[in-house]
Amino acid sequence: MKGLQSMSLKPRLCRVAAVIIQIMMFCAVSAWAGAPKVTMKVETDRAVLPADGDRTVVLKVSLDAPPPPRHVERPPVNLCLVLDRSGSMAGDKIEKAKEAAIEAVKHLGGRDMFSLVMYDHNVETLIPATPVRNLDGIVSRIRSIEPGGSTALFGGVSQGAAEIRKNPGSRFVHRIILLSDGLANVGPQTPEDLGRLGAALIKERISVTTVGVGTDYNEDLMARLSQNSDGNIYFVENSGALPGIFNAELGNVLNVVAKDVKVIIEVPEAVVPLSIIGREGRIKGRTVEFSMNQLYGDQEKFALVEVKVPRSVNGKSHGKDLEIAHATVYYENPLSKTREQAEARGRVSFSPDEKAVKKSTNVAVVRDYHLNLNALAQEKAIRESDKGKKKEAVDTLKSSAAQLKSVGSAISDEKLLKEAELLEQKADLIEKEGMSKKSRKMLRTESYQMKNQQYEK
Amino acid sequence: MMKTKRIILIYVCLLIVPAVVIGGWALKLLSHEKDRLKAQAVTALTRQAQNLAETLELTVADVEEALSRSLLDVDSTQLEDTLKRWQDENPLVRNVFVWRDNRLVYPVEGLGSTPEERRFASRYEALFSGRMDFGFGQDVSRDEWAVSEAAAKTSDNSPARQAVSARKDLVNLARIEDKGKAEAVPELPGAGTKPVFVPKSGWIPWFAENRLFILGYARKLPKGPVYGLELELMTLLSRMITQVPAVREPGAAFGLVAGDGELVHQAGGFPIDVKKQPDISVPLSGLLPHYRVNVYFSDRGVAGDEGYITLSVLLVLLFSLSMVLGGILLIRDIRRNMKDAMEKTSFVSSVSHELKTPLTSIRMYAELLAEGRVKEKEKVGRYLSVIVTESQRLTRLVNNVLDFGRLEQGKKTYHPMMFDLVAFIRTLFEAHNIRLAQAGLVLDLRIPEGPFTVRTDRDALEQVVLNLLDNAVKYASEGKYLGFFLEASIEGGVDLIMADRGPGIPVAHRELIFEKFHRVDNSLTADKAGSGLGLSIARRILRDLGGDLVYEPGKDGGSRFTARIGT
Repeated sequence: MKGLQSMSLKPRLCRVAAVIIQIMMFCAVSAWAGAPKVTMKVETDRAVLPADGDRTVVLKVSLDAPPPPRHVERPPVNLCLVLDRSGSMAGDKIEKAKEAAIEAVKHLGGRDMFSLVMYDHNVETLIPATPVRNLDGIVSRIRSIEPGGSTALFGGVSQGAAEIRKNPGSRFVHRIILLSDGLANVGPQTPEDLGRLGAALIKERISVTTVGVGTDYNEDLMARLSQNSDGNIYFVENSGALPGIFNAELGNVLNVVAKDVKVIIEVPEAVVPLSIIGREGRIKGRTVEFSMNQLYGDQEKFALVEVKVPRSVNGKSHGKDLEIAHATVYYENPLSKTREQAEARGRVSFSPDEKAVKKSTNVAVVRDYHLNLNALAQEKAIRESDKGKKKEAVDTLKSSAAQLKSVGSAISDEKLLKEAELLEQKADLIEKEGMSKKSRKMLRTESYQMKNQQYEK
Repeated sequence: MMKTKRIILIYVCLLIVPAVVIGGWALKLLSHEKDRLKAQAVTALTRQAQNLAETLELTVADVEEALSRSLLDVDSTQLEDTLKRWQDENPLVRNVFVWRDNRLVYPVEGLGSTPEERRFASRYEALFSGRMDFGFGQDVSRDEWAVSEAAAKTSDNSPARQAVSARKDLVNLARIEDKGKAEAVPELPGAGTKPVFVPKSGWIPWFAENRLFILGYARKLPKGPVYGLELELMTLLSRMITQVPAVREPGAAFGLVAGDGELVHQAGGFPIDVKKQPDISVPLSGLLPHYRVNVYFSDRGVAGDEGYITLSVLLVLLFSLSMVLGGILLIRDIRRNMKDAMEKTSFVSSVSHELKTPLTSIRMYAELLAEGRVKEKEKVGRYLSVIVTESQRLTRLVNNVLDFGRLEQGKKTYHPMMFDLVAFIRTLFEAHNIRLAQAGLVLDLRIPEGPFTVRTDRDALEQVVLNLLDNAVKYASEGKYLGFFLEASIEGGVDLIMADRGPGIPVAHRELIFEKFHRVDNSLTADKAGSGLGLSIARRILRDLGGDLVYEPGKDGGSRFTARIGT
């Protein structure tokens, strides 16, 4: 017995040790697990569908990025600043840009990589990709920038990408910030071409954020570049706001909580996806796919998908509830460097009672849906105005405003009503003075920011 | 004098002409050198442009080949998935397609594809609908390009062509050779007995929507699907332009120019104007039709030789200038030496003449007296006084010559003393009264009555006054007047002024008369002997004593010399 007891003591000790180790491991893992994860939500514009009647449903699939944890080291950033130093930047603009660049560098840490490419007719790498350790050296080189000649935007971004590529891999959050105030006149310069460049860069996980200064740059080109590479877009009329913009952008970049984000939405049989509003995605049978390069902490991004529920699907045939969508998000957690996923399901029920249907309206979804439609309308107005059809452009904006107004009052949403009012004012202004460079830039920037949900919660 | 001028002219010619000739020659050589440097720079730039073009071509060819190989290596069972993955992940792949049974299988029609994919499908509609051939088994020509859809629809002579690189053809050919001669490509008519299908791939540069697209395709099995990808041209360009090296040549800029004349990229010190004709242009072959690497020269010239040429020109000019300057200095020196020599010769002959005149008189009167034939006491006295006067003149002359020597060497010593200037002048003029009277000069002596004491070297002052007096007797006797005044100088000293009414000094000689050996060389003085030392010595003595001797023309004509005695 004695022998047995003494023998059982050892396994017990082992077990205790194992438990302690397990606890320790759990604590360690829970530090990661504690790193909050992206949550997903599927909502519909109405929770209750009419038993018959209009059966088009707007799905809002939202990704809610948590604020980044304080106690976990953020992923290093591989940032390249591409600065336009063409002649038009001379004076206050270049000074403010330099100031902003220096501000940006000061936010970076020793593990981050920084590079600076500047271009006029030539492209010059002022600071090749380098760890941000010798801050003074970097700052003094930025201060030495002088304005030069024309605008080789394509070359600048290309060189910026080349600097980023010196430190490849998923360890970094790759980002190019392009600042320009003028029309590209060396190299490919159509929005189409730069859009393709953006689309190619996103495949290397490089996002390009564009900052347009003044009213002379090509907003379509900048917007396409950003849109296709999942970067942000900013319009700064006055160079004084530049440091603020850089801070905001860098705040985003330093806050990436999910990378390489892919969302797949599946709808049940007989339900037909019609379109994706505001985002480029793929509808393949009953599957809707779209992807994003990254999610920033404390931000909500969403996709709106219109689906049609045929009459054959109703309370009788499918029971009371119908699971209308099953969404899964796959992403890389840059903090733990693991692939993670989250899923959500959306349900609707059916009712012949119109009041019940109306009562089930989800104001937030309806609002986002109409704001995105409005963004599309703004783009349409720009296209019409470009073709010289000022009247049509104004009509498009006005009818969009009217739509916002009617929906806004129907669901009594202050935000929509306010937006409608602002849009009406813009339309009036354009009607009176024509589409100014500034209004065009504002419309373009706002519509993109809306589609991309480039704002914090 | 004429001879001297000629000699100098010859010297000048001998110096300046070679300098100018050498300088001109050097400049000509320099201009040749400039041309040579430019030619060298142009050659170097052309080579650089060719290298760049070659690098770019190779890049494109490598990309092309690697993609082709990848296409052929795709596992047929996972064709669509693999291609889709490429499209999602590879920046070089813009779109992919699978074409089976004359129908586009992927991208699918409608919402299953992205807007980009739908545009892609419609872009190559002519190809995917089967109206145009992928070109398997066709003769491949690099020089013929696929044209826009619209043109393809309307025109017969614009077929889509393969643009398989020559290099790749060779590789394919070699592979077939490796497999044995019995194996052959079935597409080639009459090619062998055991037809074996060789997987084929190719590239089509495709012009649509007014821009260039590049489509790569492959087919592994005779009846199998044709599949492929659309190259992301922007990625290709974006990667390529970062390969363009920085241009070190300050006067040149490199530009990669697309088929439509658009400047894709530039490197160099100044903005390129694409409308300008390039100075060097190298075409790119292969998948980028009509792309060129152009080199533009700046207006200031291409070779970075400006500094070198400028420096060389400066050196040549400096060299020529120093030659000419040296020559001029040399000539001046020679002129001076010649003048000195001439003056000395003239001095010696003048002095000899001067010496000879009194000597002759002295000898003649002395001989007369020695013969004892002159008995009259009065005559004897007169003869003796002539002998004395002439001896004095001789002494003065010798003194002058001696003094000149001392003055030249700076060895003349002075013995200043206090004495009465008035008495000194009276004595002096009394002693020379007879000479003046003989020369026909009426003396107008205006000096104060009382004594006037000065401190200076009495003998030296006597020499000065006598020299002036001698000149007056020699040259101004025709004016019949000699004035001598004593005045207080404005500067504090005493002025001894001697004025005559002779011919005066010509303007050109007024300062030169004070130079040693100088004699106013005209008809008036030609017959008068003179050493040309008198005034020069007088001025030097006065200056040594703190005074000066100046000349000014007299109010009634003639000369007016002012001897200022320093105090």
